[in-house]
Amino acid sequence: MIKKIAITGFGIVAPSGIDKKAFWANIKAGRSAIKKIERYDSSLYPSHIGGQIHDLDVYSHVSSRLLQKIDPFSHMALIASEIALKDAGIDVSKENLNNIGIFMGNALGGWLYGETELRDLYIEGREGVSPYMASAWFPAAPQGQVSICYGIKGYSKTIVSDRASSLMAIGHAIKILAKEKVEFILAGGMEAPLSPYGLLCCNTNGQISKNNEHPEEAYRPFDKHRDGFVVGEGAGIMILESEERAKKRGKKAFAYITGYGTTCDGVDRIKSDPNGKQLARAIRMALDDAGYSPKTIDYISLDGAATLEGDISEVAAIKEVFGKYAKDVPVSAPKTMFGNLLGASGAVDVLVTVLAMEHSLIPPILNLKDIDPKCAGLNYCRDRAKEHNIRRAIVISRGRAGINAVLALEKG
Amino acid sequence: MNMDTKTKVKDVIVKLLKVKPEEVREGLSLEQSLGVDSTEMVEVCIALQKEFGISIYEKEVAKQHSVEQIAKVIDSKKK
Repeated sequence: MIKKIAITGFGIVAPSGIDKKAFWANIKAGRSAIKKIERYDSSLYPSHIGGQIHDLDVYSHVSSRLLQKIDPFSHMALIASEIALKDAGIDVSKENLNNIGIFMGNALGGWLYGETELRDLYIEGREGVSPYMASAWFPAAPQGQVSICYGIKGYSKTIVSDRASSLMAIGHAIKILAKEKVEFILAGGMEAPLSPYGLLCCNTNGQISKNNEHPEEAYRPFDKHRDGFVVGEGAGIMILESEERAKKRGKKAFAYITGYGTTCDGVDRIKSDPNGKQLARAIRMALDDAGYSPKTIDYISLDGAATLEGDISEVAAIKEVFGKYAKDVPVSAPKTMFGNLLGASGAVDVLVTVLAMEHSLIPPILNLKDIDPKCAGLNYCRDRAKEHNIRRAIVISRGRAGINAVLALEKG
Repeated sequence: MNMDTKTKVKDVIVKLLKVKPEEVREGLSLEQSLGVDSTEMVEVCIALQKEFGISIYEKEVAKQHSVEQIAKVIDSKKK
């Protein structure tokens, strides 16, 4: 069975930049991309800040004819997939299309398309609704659009598991590759939650920051003055293939995904179990899968929910697994710079970690000024990036209702 | 066939599908010239109904029809 799965290309579409060069320049500088949402009048929402992407069309080769039929979350997935394939040096037309898979995750589906058409239904009646609504809004739409765009026909799946969706999609993808069901996989996630109704749902959920006066300082996980996370939009797609295949085609891996673990808290419909026991079990599962001892981990990419239960349970889990070493291993939550991309957050966190490995630089967690005493005892990389050689890392991604997912990575 | 109807049908299709006028080729079906699928055809029908103010059903105009054929159907319904 194949053990090491190589990441040989990736595409990032995020508020901090599209494509890795621009994105990494902002991340290593610790620059926040969180701003007031101005696409529509969001001022009446309790929280109206977010990580937005303004220049999507500049990077797009998608025709305006197709753009009418798809939601922005599919558009982002198409752009990220194109960049990822180019980065990996893969010409899909020269591959066996039956042996390519697509594993993607998102939490919400295409709300902008859905809510616009629902408005038309109530104003104009049945004939006002686009016949494309059915195929534009549903969570598997991006998988469908990417498969149509390239003619991909292999074993594929869309995972919906709240904010852990894309990390779980990658976790499932490596298992499928290990079983040699396909040759390579486009894996990751996408989310476009900043539509009027999407943002309203995020608001009623009660887990997002209302610090509208200071958008750049709003997302502050593990801080005493936290008041929730900040929502962002974007996509992260990576090309996954076996180490052997990558070597055969002379492509150096950026990193390897070596382990995966997932558990459920089974306690509350929204909040994480504060004791962090099940997250600890997911971390151990990923480490065991990779064959790593906790002491060999050089960096932890945190979920950073910026909610009381989310933060204290995450810290408790790390302390339980890493013991004495918990105070030494560097940890960070770079999403404080561009927002929590919900279902796409895990995939983007993986890609930030890959870039951190490549540049031997830990990206900062912003706004952690006054550490909550319940979250103390970890080696947070605060405010500015820190040079550090990262050979092995884990990435934590969690969702509402106590979903925990963890990936183990190794430098390529 | 009323040339005015033909021009209007072509305009509706160009505007709706965001294609260039020269892509709508004379004598070819919408499927052949533009790759129109059945879902797009539903949109075309709705747009034509709005433009001409008459009921046009999907069974009357199909993707296998050319602009000229669609214009003929519309002219016959207007009489």
